[in-house]
Amino acid sequence: MVSTILFSAFSVLAVAGAAGLVLLRHPMNGAMSFIITLISLAGLYALLSAKLIFAIQLIVYAGAIMSLILFIIMFLNIGEKDLPDESSRWYYFAGGAVVIAPMALFLLKVVNRLPGGDTQIVGNGFGSVKEVGKVLFRDWLLPFEIVSILLLVALVGAVVLAGKREERA
Amino acid sequence: MILNYLSLSIILFCLGLLGVISRRNVFTVFMSIELMLNAANLTFVALARLHESMDGHVLALMVMAVAAAEAALALAVVILLHKHKGNLDTNVFSLLRG
Repeated sequence: MVSTILFSAFSVLAVAGAAGLVLLRHPMNGAMSFIITLISLAGLYALLSAKLIFAIQLIVYAGAIMSLILFIIMFLNIGEKDLPDESSRWYYFAGGAVVIAPMALFLLKVVNRLPGGDTQIVGNGFGSVKEVGKVLFRDWLLPFEIVSILLLVALVGAVVLAGKREERA
Repeated sequence: MILNYLSLSIILFCLGLLGVISRRNVFTVFMSIELMLNAANLTFVALARLHESMDGHVLALMVMAVAAAEAALALAVVILLHKHKGNLDTNVFSLLRG
């Protein structure tokens, strides 16, 4: 019962935050409401007994990535006059909703036909650092190394791009 | 039970898609992409719980690493574009137009 109430609260918060991100005009307000979505998603991971993913969602997503985005938004010092003119965005919302709604309804119908949504109680170690680490370093070693190379390349590329000086100005 | 999580993930994904196709602010578009990645993560973790295997958790970790790399690169590109064009409108960024 408690888990049902918590799921409802977290899912309402997540959808509200996502709607705020899409609807609010200033990116700073959008980022703040997106952080609500990220934190309630972390709560949902905890309900799914994914302990490591819960911690990493809070630390990496809501912590590192969002503070990077907020830092850049503040660094560019965006005022009202820098925002693009989005006075016609309600038409785009209507058009996009017309396109997306059939797909969403179809997917929801498919998902609700899936068999076996009931879960068993899992062991104490499910989702802990030790168990996920075993799976990660035994079955997923090559993708893990490829991801580390990807992170290195992305960071070098970001430094090269952002540190570029204007020679010809 | 798990089906509710999957339905929530579909709703979040569609909201992110709506943000990508209907907004013009480059930061909002970028965060909508992050929202879609998060919806995919929720699906991975929910299905891992259903099948009681932890491969989904590892895949969620990979998605988060890719999202971090994407954030670092995309924000550098946004800074460069803002320096060149002085604007945040995605309609202005049409460098590839012939």
